[in-house]
Amino acid sequence: MSTIQPTVPRTDLAEAAPKKRRSGLGTDRPNWPLTAILIVCSLAVIVPLLVTVNMSLKTTAQAVDGSAFTLPSPFSLQGFAEAWQLTNFPRGLAISAFITLVAVVGEIVISSLAAFAIVRNWDRRLFRWSFFYLLAAMFIPFPVVALPQVKLTGIVGLDNPIGVAILHIVFALAFNTLLFTAFLRSIPLSLEESMRVDGATTWQVFTRLIFPLLAPMSATVGIFAFLGSWNDFMMPSLITTNPELQTLPVLQQMFQTQFSNNYNIAFASYLMAMAPAIVVYILTQKWVISGLTQGAVKS
Amino acid sequence: MSVQTSTAGRRRESRAPATARSAAPASAARRRRRVDPIYYAFLFPALAVFTLAITLPAVIGFFYSFTNSVGFGDFEFIGLRNYIALFRDPNILQAYLFTLGFALVTVILANVLAFALAVALTSRIRFRTTLRTIFVIPMVISGIIIAFVFKFLFANSLPAAGQALGIGVLSESILANENLAWIGIVIVTAWSTIPGAMLIYIAGLVTIPDELYEAAAIDGASGWQRLQRITLPMVSGFILINTILGFKGYLNAYDVIVGLTDGGPGTATTSIAMSIFKGFTGGDYGYQMANAAVFFVITVILAGIQLRLTAGKASFGA
Amino acid sequence: MSFYQSKREVIPHFSDLIDAFNREQSDFTYVHDTSTNLQAGFVRANPPDLALQNYNHEMSRFMERGALSDLADLPEAGRIRPEVLELVDWYPGYENRTSVIPYSVAAASVIYNKQLFAEHDVEIPTTWDELLSACETFQAADITPLYGTFSELWTITQGLFDYVVGGLIDSRDFFARLTEVGEDAGPNSEVSFQKNMLEPIQQMLELLPYFNKDARSRAYGDGNTAMANGTAAMYLQGPWALVEIEKAETDVELGSFPLPVTDDPEDRKIRVNIDLSLWIPEQADQHEGARQLLQHLMLPEIQFPYNELALAFSTTDDAPEVTDPRIAEMQPYYDEGRFYMGPSTLVPPTIPFGNYMQAIVLGAEPEPILAQIDSDFARLAYRA
Repeated sequence: MSTIQPTVPRTDLAEAAPKKRRSGLGTDRPNWPLTAILIVCSLAVIVPLLVTVNMSLKTTAQAVDGSAFTLPSPFSLQGFAEAWQLTNFPRGLAISAFITLVAVVGEIVISSLAAFAIVRNWDRRLFRWSFFYLLAAMFIPFPVVALPQVKLTGIVGLDNPIGVAILHIVFALAFNTLLFTAFLRSIPLSLEESMRVDGATTWQVFTRLIFPLLAPMSATVGIFAFLGSWNDFMMPSLITTNPELQTLPVLQQMFQTQFSNNYNIAFASYLMAMAPAIVVYILTQKWVISGLTQGAVKS
Repeated sequence: MSVQTSTAGRRRESRAPATARSAAPASAARRRRRVDPIYYAFLFPALAVFTLAITLPAVIGFFYSFTNSVGFGDFEFIGLRNYIALFRDPNILQAYLFTLGFALVTVILANVLAFALAVALTSRIRFRTTLRTIFVIPMVISGIIIAFVFKFLFANSLPAAGQALGIGVLSESILANENLAWIGIVIVTAWSTIPGAMLIYIAGLVTIPDELYEAAAIDGASGWQRLQRITLPMVSGFILINTILGFKGYLNAYDVIVGLTDGGPGTATTSIAMSIFKGFTGGDYGYQMANAAVFFVITVILAGIQLRLTAGKASFGA
Repeated sequence: MSFYQSKREVIPHFSDLIDAFNREQSDFTYVHDTSTNLQAGFVRANPPDLALQNYNHEMSRFMERGALSDLADLPEAGRIRPEVLELVDWYPGYENRTSVIPYSVAAASVIYNKQLFAEHDVEIPTTWDELLSACETFQAADITPLYGTFSELWTITQGLFDYVVGGLIDSRDFFARLTEVGEDAGPNSEVSFQKNMLEPIQQMLELLPYFNKDARSRAYGDGNTAMANGTAAMYLQGPWALVEIEKAETDVELGSFPLPVTDDPEDRKIRVNIDLSLWIPEQADQHEGARQLLQHLMLPEIQFPYNELALAFSTTDDAPEVTDPRIAEMQPYYDEGRFYMGPSTLVPPTIPFGNYMQAIVLGAEPEPILAQIDSDFARLAYRA
């Protein structure tokens, strides 16, 4: 049975040849033309970001002319100060953070528990069918259930950030459970068996053995959950009724007419809203790729 | 991709209570195996939340699609009238055509580019880690914010360039042009979703062992041929995942469209999701629920078609 | 306790009123809500407790479905002028309830620049031909005869469309008969858009050459600025625009005259709508508090000054005459009942009427679009 390492290259083909570094289609020396092409392509990503930063550092007087490529002169943090005040950034930040935290923790816990139960009881119909039941949700798009959900959340008093967090958890259940079950199948039972022989309950098995082993996948799930929740616009805009309890993305849209031509304020606001996600990603990117490799491949 | 039966058999026998030891056949032991009740507790939250938050609303909504409800107050049953009216409504038809067309174009464009990038980024290049990080950044930014940034560029920078170069069509924001606005939406949606697809392709590409390529090179295969004969078949499963999930995601396009054009000009870029949401701000609740039901069926059918076309032929790497 | 009022021109006025009332009494604390989506609030079963809103088709949807509570027992309901109550009935009610109490009636007609008219020796036109020749005079003198802001749909429907078409056809009768025709609306039905509206719309299009060339990219704010600066002679907008124009603090002198659409001066009428009316939803949490605020707002010392400020007409039997010179010319029309409700307000909002009108005004052929409206209408009747 395979272990929890990433799929290794087929060594039967290697034989005498020493194992080369992963290189895909290239040969030994770096492919400079390709590098150059990639750098040019990366401009497609860098330029909009630079424009955002550029416009955000201008004074309002200079920003209203709307030219993206003139440098700020003078430099000014006026945009940031005003955006902070105008959109009540700290409050939006807190709300976004709250929803994201609840969603991330909820998604990891609920999905891992469910996945564990499903994998260990695959022979039982209830669990097997539950798996497919949850999986079917991958094909239920939000717009299909949006209207009744708006009605229901209103009636039960969940038309607020808590309701949004719960919905985030629910919509991600299918994919997360899929990832966790795939990952779990690769954990050898022998470890679990020896724990049980020592008298551990299932709960202890989960908390002391399985959950820690799931850490890499939890990290991946967590990061996707974070990004999904933090950046979501559709659900908070429809579910949360009180405009004072809105998330950062929705705030950007709510203030569009108030930003009007004051591009420095607008872009400063966008930058402040984007920053946390970019920082979190840069710090945790290696788990994303490894998680995808292990999880996606296995599923 | 592992098979458990042998282990499962072993496990059941070792865990069966004192009675059913090695003498009992595996299947009988399976049927009599007690499920530790705590597993039910583990499964319960997921099932409960899912049923309450998805299944229940779906059923309720389906029920409302047969009424003329405006979302509140009195309503009556009108049978299939909403559905019939739906199929005759040119605005709805327009929304479907736009959404399907947009989704098709974007899924092809985004996947071709994502694949090319993935191949390039798994090649021998300098600055590989930095470049990978840069190319993933669009995925990390909220769709609506991306849309606002590009809306600014389309409304200010691009027309300025267009005027300077004398290209008439670009002199105004393409987003204000009924016939060209969809292009802007495709571009921005692709920009923000290419990283996701790219990562999945990279995950697939790294599982292909070098030796295959070397062997092919020794046999005289060109770069192109290696791509066709080795790479593509081995990652076909990933291509499948990306197109199915990608297409479904694009069908639900909302954030980017709201940020760029809000469905305009007129109703040229209104997606199905947008017209459904108008159902509860525009008093067309029952009608748009019927729309949502039809949309759901179409989504499932399309996914089914995609799976059918490629069933069995997909491989997920080495 | 939430009080919903979203008419942007007067938000500050009502914010102050609410603050003052909160200080005066301590039974309830009122919160002034200006932005939540009303329809969504009803769907979620938590609409505002009291609303002071424009009386239009969206509102009528709330009424029709029985979502508004009955206010007949309030003494204020008995003080409304009969002509105004007539206007309330243009939309179908619910089981004889008094669902709304009208607060402010806005009379709208053509806003014109008195100085420009005097300078160019133009008299207020009383027939269609006189109107066209007035436009010719201004155009020859290089002054924009009519200022258009076609990028905003509502300015086309409530201005150009309503004034011309409303003056030419009996809207109430037309829509009542069209509703009866219901699912059969189309080229062969007794009444239809393509049959009854074609000529009025073609007449409306005769005015197009006299609008500013860049009308398609101009917005409400631009129109107000143009009138304030005296660059245009006439403006098809309501008194709310006068409030905005005033903010520019120029010394332009404006007045209003009803748009003549026939050859007979006696046919002239003004467009009215119940700009603000009070209602309390059935699902309101605080009926007591809502009613208290309602009665406070209906006090003459609160209602009359508001209407003066907003350049509108008060709705009660004891309402004073309007004195502001910019709208005083309309008083006799109001008193004599020579008014109509804008036909565009009688079109169900699910039909994108504004978009259709914009398309026509920007050059599309009217016939196919009117046929489209008929089929939209038929489909709506079929499933409603």
